[in-house]
Amino acid sequence: MAAQGAVGGGAHLPELVIEGTRSPTTRAALAELWLHRGLVLAFAIRDVKVKYKQAILGVAWAVVQPLGLLVLFTLLVARAVTIRETDVPYPAFALSALIPWLFLQNAVVAGTGALLADSALVRKIYFPREAPILGAVMATAIEFWIGVGLYLALAPFVGARLGPTAILVVPLFVLCALLAAGVSVALGALNVYYRDVRYVLPFAVQLWMFASPVVYPLSTVPPRWQVLYVTLNPAAGLLDAFGRSLASGMPPEPMLLGLSTVTTVAVGWIGYRLFKWLEPAFADVI
Amino acid sequence: MSIAVRFEEVSKEYRPSRARYASVRTELSALLRWLVRRRRPSGGPLERRRALDRLSFEVQAGEAFAIIGPNGAGKTTALKLMARISLPSAGRIRLCGRVGALIEVGAGIHPELTGRENIWLYGRFVGMTRAALAQRFDEIVDFCELAYVLDEPVKTYSTGMQLRLGFAVASHVDPDILVVDEALAVGDAAFQAKCSERMAHLLRLGRTLVLVSHNLSAVEALCARGLLLIEGRARSLGPVHQVVRDYIDWVDAQHHSAARPAGALLRGGGLVLTRLTAHALDGDERYVFRPGEGIEVRLTVQAETAIRSPWFSLGVSDGRPGALIMCSMLERAEAFDLAPGEHQLLCRLPALPLAPRAYELWLSVRDASGAVDILDWSCVGSIRIVDPSPPSGPGALSAPWMYGPVRVPFEWSKG
Repeated sequence: MAAQGAVGGGAHLPELVIEGTRSPTTRAALAELWLHRGLVLAFAIRDVKVKYKQAILGVAWAVVQPLGLLVLFTLLVARAVTIRETDVPYPAFALSALIPWLFLQNAVVAGTGALLADSALVRKIYFPREAPILGAVMATAIEFWIGVGLYLALAPFVGARLGPTAILVVPLFVLCALLAAGVSVALGALNVYYRDVRYVLPFAVQLWMFASPVVYPLSTVPPRWQVLYVTLNPAAGLLDAFGRSLASGMPPEPMLLGLSTVTTVAVGWIGYRLFKWLEPAFADVI
Repeated sequence: MSIAVRFEEVSKEYRPSRARYASVRTELSALLRWLVRRRRPSGGPLERRRALDRLSFEVQAGEAFAIIGPNGAGKTTALKLMARISLPSAGRIRLCGRVGALIEVGAGIHPELTGRENIWLYGRFVGMTRAALAQRFDEIVDFCELAYVLDEPVKTYSTGMQLRLGFAVASHVDPDILVVDEALAVGDAAFQAKCSERMAHLLRLGRTLVLVSHNLSAVEALCARGLLLIEGRARSLGPVHQVVRDYIDWVDAQHHSAARPAGALLRGGGLVLTRLTAHALDGDERYVFRPGEGIEVRLTVQAETAIRSPWFSLGVSDGRPGALIMCSMLERAEAFDLAPGEHQLLCRLPALPLAPRAYELWLSVRDASGAVDILDWSCVGSIRIVDPSPPSGPGALSAPWMYGPVRVPFEWSKG
């Protein structure tokens, strides 16, 4: 892999030594990514522009998706689910979970496909290959914040108890984005080698939704299983924290959120290492 | 002088095709078979395709360097390694300065976005900063001559317009080392001329140019040194004239016969061009000439039926579109009727005032009406002009591309 050499070969220009035999350290990879942060932003801006270019409703689509699902869930599921400890109306809970969940889902789908969608660029231009993936995740973040705006506007009508804890949505979003990025780079890298990933993904994401507290609150899971649940599925702890801080006006459960955070960071790190390990041959295989 | 690019024993291998577009199913079944039989699925070690084999060379800062060779010799692979698109399997590459690659420009242009938006995006993709783009935006728009459609989506552009947009952006990145693939040689004649001029401009600014091309004339016109790649190995490395010479010799050796054009070269409308040879004015068959020396081109054609006044046109080209010199019967209104059978036609040029490099011979034949081609305009052979005493004034021009292709007598005086 490439490494910025300290050896001054030319009179004034820094020398770059390229060797294909080693993967870069995480630190070196992140430094290289930081150098290309403008490029990540450029990918994100392009994705947003392209997405809304020909959509008549434009940004309204970001509102239609959560609202439609909210109505559906409320009509179909509300009576079957008993909300014990959160005791907020079901629509408030469902909307507080749907907005971060839709971000996770859309970001993972867009991020996983991003590298292949830009395969022409990968074959012609050098850049850290995670740039289009992270750009796609960033582009999806806009919908999340539109969704949060929608939530704040609807909160009085769906019976949410908005309080100061709502501000926690910012750090929780960062964790969600890290989780989405970690999953996306891992699946995106595998997608280059195994095109099956693309076909399995929509189904897997659906399963993930039902395995996460989106339709039902975390409190419906027996307490003794909750620790294992949020450790295996970091989305669960994050979504529960969203529900508590946005809908119930309570602080998140520190234990559950902590476990989910640990798993999220682990997913991010493992995903990135996997990506960097597979990255050197991307241009040859894609 | 410092070194801009340095390849140290660089090898590049590609995994065999089994690994490409593999599916989980094939991997799983391979794994199962391995578990059962304890050996590799293909029975033996996988054969890897070696595109570059321990390649070493250096490119000086500020020089124009050519990489030539037949298809599949590893030229594009070498470029991709230089541009960091692909990584070497072994060995080391040292780069001094920022590399800009013109390899199939426009790969990142998005059809739904406008020209303006695409300049901003594509500029970022190829490595320009926001500030650099803002500064050069007008220059880029000027260069691609697309100001009048700048706010239209690129999908409404013609292919040529999209290409111009891509090249305009990519060539304004202003890298220290510019790496150019011959894929650039698409687009109309005016655009190609613009591309060449842009490369020459960057050279004048002291940038380093690495050019991959099949167009030997263009290579000789632009570059000072070169590398001949054959099957991933360096066959020849040095002054471009020598390297081009070695390449032509290698091609000759591949074709075995000394008289290069052999067999049916062109066929159509009852006429077959079976042989084309070049001769010095004294009749010697030769393909290497001095500047200003005369030349006779001999064509052997086979008429399958009687052909009334076929119009022959012979052109000399330096590889750019259009002929440098055109010798057409159509201009003189003189043609010969051909009876069925073999005929020899001679085209004599008493002087060929061309600068040293390789040139192509082109031929077309029109029917009696003078409007329809019997034989299409095609390249049928090549010759070389070699100067035994290269120009050596106190300020001999610094780069070969500065010499024009045509040499005429001239004199400077003080009025």
